[in-house]
Amino acid sequence: MSQQLAQKLGFVLLGLLSLVVIVPILLVIGAIIYSGLPAVSWEFLSAMPRDGMRAGGIYPAIVGTILLTLGTGLVAIPVGVGAAVYLSEYAQDNVFTRAIRLAIVNLASIPSVVYGLFGLGLFVLLLQFGTSILAGSLTLAIMTLPVIISTSEEALRAVPMEYRTVSESLGGTHWQGIRRIVLPQALPGIITGVILGLLRAAGETAPILFTVAAFFLPRLPQSPFDQTMALPYHLYVISTQVPAMPLQIQHGTALVLLAFVLSMNLVATLIRSYFRRRREW
Amino acid sequence: MVPTHRRHAKGTRYLGFLCVWCLLVATLFFSLAGCRPPNDTAPATPPGTIEIKGSDTLVNLALAWVEGYQLVQPDVRISVTGGGSGTGIASMINGTVDIAASSRDMTSREFEAARAAGMDPVEFVVALDAIAIVVHLENPIEQLTIQQITDIYTGRITNWAELGSYDRPIVLVSRESNSGTYVYFLEHVLRRDPARADARFSPNSLLMPSSEGISTEVRQNRNAIGYDGLGYVTPDKKVVAVGLDPEGPFVLPSIETVRDGTYVISRPLHVYTTGEPVGEVREFLEWVLTDGQEMVRELGFVPLD
Repeated sequence: MSQQLAQKLGFVLLGLLSLVVIVPILLVIGAIIYSGLPAVSWEFLSAMPRDGMRAGGIYPAIVGTILLTLGTGLVAIPVGVGAAVYLSEYAQDNVFTRAIRLAIVNLASIPSVVYGLFGLGLFVLLLQFGTSILAGSLTLAIMTLPVIISTSEEALRAVPMEYRTVSESLGGTHWQGIRRIVLPQALPGIITGVILGLLRAAGETAPILFTVAAFFLPRLPQSPFDQTMALPYHLYVISTQVPAMPLQIQHGTALVLLAFVLSMNLVATLIRSYFRRRREW
Repeated sequence: MVPTHRRHAKGTRYLGFLCVWCLLVATLFFSLAGCRPPNDTAPATPPGTIEIKGSDTLVNLALAWVEGYQLVQPDVRISVTGGGSGTGIASMINGTVDIAASSRDMTSREFEAARAAGMDPVEFVVALDAIAIVVHLENPIEQLTIQQITDIYTGRITNWAELGSYDRPIVLVSRESNSGTYVYFLEHVLRRDPARADARFSPNSLLMPSSEGISTEVRQNRNAIGYDGLGYVTPDKKVVAVGLDPEGPFVLPSIETVRDGTYVISRPLHVYTTGEPVGEVREFLEWVLTDGQEMVRELGFVPLD
């Protein structure tokens, strides 16, 4: 066999292998769009559920998921980015910071249902928040933190050292260097990390199971102490708990959740490419 | 480099802003924590909201009640959550819900825990239910005694042929131990005979997380046997007649046979409140016990009276 032929064969093989990765994703998305799209209408998106959730819409679940994602971001972004700045720009390599890093790595590997139980114990019971949006957001925020911290730290570290030294050589303080030079340069990476973390929060069922999610609550929440419905839990419930549930509504709900997550992903990509074009290294 | 972000260098302002933000979040967090002191035995939910949690058997019925009640009382917010009878009772004792839905009686230990938390739980029977024994539509079996059901679920009978049905292994489908239906089935079927007070589910049982999970499995699996609340029995499964005596009579579960007690595996469905209910909770429960009974019938359970 000639070298040329071997190379061609090799490329074809590698191409096929990468196809193996793409095909299931396309199939899943395709299948959900195909069977879910007929269920999605304006009413489905904007109405309360009716007839034991077998008809009507999923409006409260959509609002619930948006609120939980916002609440998660409100807590996790400042804390996470702050921690990343500290770890990358200020922290010295000592026992304390090594312990922090170890904690972050361990946090990232904890199964989500354990976060749920932790949230139940701490926020719902000990701090008496009750099953509420507040308790759910805080639980999701803790789960999201490791992703945000580690990706943000990576992004900060990727900014060349010269930027910091030049900033200081021009008389800038350490913080000025971080605020004006390093953070803006690292922003695309940070935003990616933040959105990846929030995506995970938006799609999780286990952490909200005990802390916020309601099986059925056809009202919009009025305070952070209210329970709410949420898309992932709603999908779980209508697929396993409700007899004679029309398949179309299940697929429609899955499609809405998928669209929510993918559109957040798209926004992340757009923001990232916008900033990347303005990057100077 | 070309500083595209050149502004007046006032880094400290941002540092200050960050500090204020963190302080704000921290204050908010702790003031919220503070307004709910742990010793507070008042209902955990804001006025105008009723939280119901517990039995998965009752969850769809509770949902129907909430839908119906909203037409009468549009201002009251009611949330419904499942999780199992044990979950609901535990949440009530923890003070996070107003009403615990349960398909079994509260145990004396649970009563003690509730009293220790300063509550005096009140029980309401809100509907009656039968536990139907269900198999695949193609299974020729028509009737079983309690004894046979016990032998099946404890693993002594493992093939349908031993019961005069087709030659297939028996797949046991059950709920998990958090389910009131599971507890009821264990105590009133497997341990019905005092001589078998320590009977256990065979370790080969498939434990399903919901009543609907059992339904789905039995619908699809020719080898399966399952048990489900009457409200989960649909025409795509076969219901087996149950008798105490091998000579009969064998009885199918229905509203009549549950009420007159001839169907043996029947039970009351409860809700518990932390004390004598007042205000909105009381009004809701009164409605459930009167007009709400219409929905009990619609969902295939057995209404009171």
